[in-house]
Amino acid sequence: MKVAFWPGCVSKGACPELYVSTQAIAEPLGLELHELYQAPCCGAGVLSEQNPELSDSLNGLTLAMAEAEGADLMTICSTCQGVLSNHSYHLARDKTRLDKVNATIADQGFIYKGTTKVKHLLWMLFEDIGIDRVAAKIKRKLTGLKIAPFYGCYILRPIESLGLRERPERKNYLERLIALLGAEPVEYKGATKCCGFPMLTFNRDKALAMGGNHIMEAKEKGADLLVTPCPLCHLNLDAQQPDASRVLKKDIDVPIFHLPQLLGLAFGYEPEQLRLNHHVVSTKGALEKVELKV
Amino acid sequence: MEFTIEVGRYNPEGIYSDAAVPGKPFPAPWDRSPVRRYQTYKVDLPEHAVVLDALIAIREYQDQSLAVRCACRSAICGSCGIWINGHANLACKSKLQEFTKDGTTRVESPPSMPIIRDLVCDMNPFWEKHLAVKPWLQNKQPVPPPNEEYRVPNASMEELVQEVSCISCGVCLMDCESFAVNQEFLGPQALAQAYRYANDPRDAQSKERLGEYSKSGGVWDCTHCYECVTQCPKGVEPLEQILKLRRMAVDAGFTNNPGTRHADAFAESVRDSGRLNELTLLPKSIGYFNVVDQLKTLPGAFNLIRAGKLPPLVHKKIPGLSRIKAIFQRVGGRFK
Amino acid sequence: MTRDHDVVVLGAGLAGMRAALEAAREDADVAIVTKVHPIRSHSSAAQGGINAAISETDSWESHAFDTVKGSDYLADQDAVEVMCQEAPSDIIEFEHMGVIFYRGADGRLGTRAFGGASQARTYFVGDITGQALLVTLYDQILKAGVKVYEEWFATKLHMEDGVCRGLVALEMITGELHLLRAKAVVVASGGLGRLYEPSTNALICTGDGYSLAYRAGAPLMDMEMVQYHPTTLAGSGFLMTEAARGEGAYLLNSEGERFMKRYAPNKMELAARDVTSRAEATEIAEGRGINGNVLLDLRHLGPDVVLKKLPQIHEMALDYLGIDMIKEPVPVRPGMHYQMGGIRTDVQGASSVPGIYAAGEVACVSVHGGNRLGANSLLDTIVFGRRSGKSSAEYAKKTAATSGGEELLRSEQERLRELLARPYTGDTPAGLRLELATMMDKNVGLYRSDAGLHEALDALRGFRKRYEKIAVGDKGRVFNQALTFALELGYLLDCGEAIVRSAIERKESRGAHTHTEHPDRNDVDWLKHTVLTCVDGEQAEISFAPVTITRWKPEVRTY
Repeated sequence: MKVAFWPGCVSKGACPELYVSTQAIAEPLGLELHELYQAPCCGAGVLSEQNPELSDSLNGLTLAMAEAEGADLMTICSTCQGVLSNHSYHLARDKTRLDKVNATIADQGFIYKGTTKVKHLLWMLFEDIGIDRVAAKIKRKLTGLKIAPFYGCYILRPIESLGLRERPERKNYLERLIALLGAEPVEYKGATKCCGFPMLTFNRDKALAMGGNHIMEAKEKGADLLVTPCPLCHLNLDAQQPDASRVLKKDIDVPIFHLPQLLGLAFGYEPEQLRLNHHVVSTKGALEKVELKV
Repeated sequence: MEFTIEVGRYNPEGIYSDAAVPGKPFPAPWDRSPVRRYQTYKVDLPEHAVVLDALIAIREYQDQSLAVRCACRSAICGSCGIWINGHANLACKSKLQEFTKDGTTRVESPPSMPIIRDLVCDMNPFWEKHLAVKPWLQNKQPVPPPNEEYRVPNASMEELVQEVSCISCGVCLMDCESFAVNQEFLGPQALAQAYRYANDPRDAQSKERLGEYSKSGGVWDCTHCYECVTQCPKGVEPLEQILKLRRMAVDAGFTNNPGTRHADAFAESVRDSGRLNELTLLPKSIGYFNVVDQLKTLPGAFNLIRAGKLPPLVHKKIPGLSRIKAIFQRVGGRFK
Repeated sequence: MTRDHDVVVLGAGLAGMRAALEAAREDADVAIVTKVHPIRSHSSAAQGGINAAISETDSWESHAFDTVKGSDYLADQDAVEVMCQEAPSDIIEFEHMGVIFYRGADGRLGTRAFGGASQARTYFVGDITGQALLVTLYDQILKAGVKVYEEWFATKLHMEDGVCRGLVALEMITGELHLLRAKAVVVASGGLGRLYEPSTNALICTGDGYSLAYRAGAPLMDMEMVQYHPTTLAGSGFLMTEAARGEGAYLLNSEGERFMKRYAPNKMELAARDVTSRAEATEIAEGRGINGNVLLDLRHLGPDVVLKKLPQIHEMALDYLGIDMIKEPVPVRPGMHYQMGGIRTDVQGASSVPGIYAAGEVACVSVHGGNRLGANSLLDTIVFGRRSGKSSAEYAKKTAATSGGEELLRSEQERLRELLARPYTGDTPAGLRLELATMMDKNVGLYRSDAGLHEALDALRGFRKRYEKIAVGDKGRVFNQALTFALELGYLLDCGEAIVRSAIERKESRGAHTHTEHPDRNDVDWLKHTVLTCVDGEQAEISFAPVTITRWKPEVRTY
């Protein structure tokens, strides 16, 4: 299946393991990734808050590039998903806004008709690739692991532009996937909460406490690891975890996996192929539970 | 049909029925409230009944000792904001059928607020925040004579209907993720009201307000999680109003804060490379001369290096960057 | 604990807060006592708007005439004149405070049509007018720093030698009783809708003020005048604002006919409320209803009008009936809505008992007479709220402070202790309340008869006996709602008796009082107010008072 692939900035920056693991699982899932090398950053909500018109135009350009590819736009980041969903939702309904975007990007060789569907890899697993195909590719059941899902705000809220009113099941895909891979999903409140990343630069301690609290809650419920479809959550939950430990004065030590890394493990890849050895919080303990080493 | 309700009970005098068993609120690690007890009731109600119908039925005919605030029963008075299955909702607007999970609906006072008794929480933190934004018109001079209204376009009034629709139920604050870790944060309701006044053409203090709201505890302490937008029963969308306030504050010149620096650094990075540069974002947001806070971020950077995760030191530009620059030229505003 | 103030206002709805604000402006030490947070007050449920003759093509005389005609000539015309003359500046004052009233193309305040009015003079904010006014006024109270005793429940007025000297109230959070001494008390505690089932009113509308003032000796006037609103939602009984019809909605019977053409050929759906409610009841009784309802049809108004001007009722019909009024008509029926009668006051808000003032629904000035026009209730609250605040503050200035009341505090403590200690009898306050309210709707509702009214009086005697033994199902101190609920039931019983006693007297049909054995208005014998006075705290004495007529002689009332 051909998809216009938008990896987002973070998978090409501070989370290269996300990019690598996505590339790895594309083949077994039958995904033909047409990467949008020339697309700009989505702005992560920062640009849309400061300058909605600029954000419309930049994301309109990305949507137009996907439209030109003639394929759905696939994201691997909850934040990119939220921002692009928001723009595609409004540009499809508000002709004035769409016309403005086209007036800006037309010189750059693109016109957006308003048809691009934006879908996170997580949604595609259930809605396009098919969960049977995912199941068929499993070579290594993750039995024995207790895994806490961590969605990231922008793949859950606001519900209108994300299509969650029509498809409320999108709120539970991670739990279903974890069970499908043979592991046990951990039920805890933090799953749908904020990791704190958006505040990290202006309210560091509170942002760290926010993320740390959620991991601790999952840990108390027995989680061996958290899995997230959002690299920004990953940054706050993994890269900042030692600092969060200091702020909360608690030992946290729970590894955070990217969604494609978890799939990759189940598909039989070795941890190094998924760069699970390049995390700030060691993945060693969790991997040993499924008799893997890093 | 029969519904099962599990109600979080709390009585500071320690009077409980034997049927009430000790328990913790729905998982909430930040919980500051005392141990509650949970008591299960069964009520027979029409299938479209709401949670409040069940609570009233319990209080009237099964257990008069159950305390719950309610008045209008139709989402106007804002009394019955409580936690239902771990999220803040208006009990009178929440259909039992939709909220029944594994055969039961769990109802309790939100752990984010101090508790008084049963489903009655102390709303003072909420009202203090409301008061703190000075939620009254600071009349623009000259005030028209007593027989004449301010002449303003209807559109400017309609623009405020969304915020005036707020019924002060507190649901947004109860589920606010920033408030959960930061009691100083003014919160969604107060800031939505702040926007309502800052954006009123009859208000003389718009600029002063924006300065106040830009301070610590204000608009930049929102974590942008959209919980308030999702939970608000009246469509006030507080987060959207907070974002508008941020924009208005920056436009009014209140830029000497990490929030604005963060936005500026972000935009600059996208303009100059097409992508976000995580390496410079943090130090630029903090401000290069804020040595103390800069040092705080060092361990984080060191951890990244050790894990081999640090973004490339030479930040790559995307191919076709000229397009992005052209778009910034055209609609970039202050980011040109 | 005992505290002293110049003026204590009971109730924090529009009338109460407006009174408090005015008293504060007069430099009185004023405090509000309210059993719920001010924002929870039932004023917020007023949807459609507020009347005033502001535009150049309108006149206060026209507004006053419509009000007098709407009242079926029972309103005191001097009071109506005051209200209609002062309406424009009072509404403009709220605009200056920040209310976001709807504007016309010229940026000036714009109107919508309402029932019983000869022209469109209703000012509004969507269909949340009451809420918009209430929030604005609350914020003014905050700004002025008025003391609010929030979630304090009044149990008795403090009387010394026939003069009101404050009140006793229960602080719900601690369970402690307090004596609040004051030189004047403004009773602004709202209506009594819980006396009827169903009703549009909130659970907090339990007639507290009528009963407290009545038992302190203040006469109640025209209590038989209970308004049934023509459009309350099937099932729940929630209010569907008259503004729907003001914007052009139709009332249809089961045959799809706009039946109002047979009852009010000129005003159609915008006849006065009593007329419209009776028309609906007739249609339903004659077999042209749909499961006891008629239909409110807004489909032809289009989504824009509904979503912009009536968003709240759109949401309510969707939430509680699953009906989208843009696409489907909404089943509605007449439902108990408002009490025109109340504590008798002069135009300054003063009752005949020194120190007791009243304003808002609980008061009877009388500006509504036998039937209140839509959008005149909000007006009543802000005009007479302001006036009672000013006059109570002026009275307080020339009144000396008192030091008594400790005895009353002790006897109230004893009364509550006895109430809490009562053994269970099998009766629950909720069960008794439901029996009472269902009985009131049946016998003292839209239509009354001699037999029904006497049946009601007998029933009330029985309820009273049971009430005197009723037990409270919660023995704690903190936030004991079972206790306040039992006290509220006592207030409701007093109100019920006052309504039935007054209704039995009035042998004619006028406004909301439709007597099946006396179907016509009788101006010769009955152009007068019923006045009920409590003697020695127990016995009710009926008397009559003349209606003040200034310029509008009673005429035949058609719409």
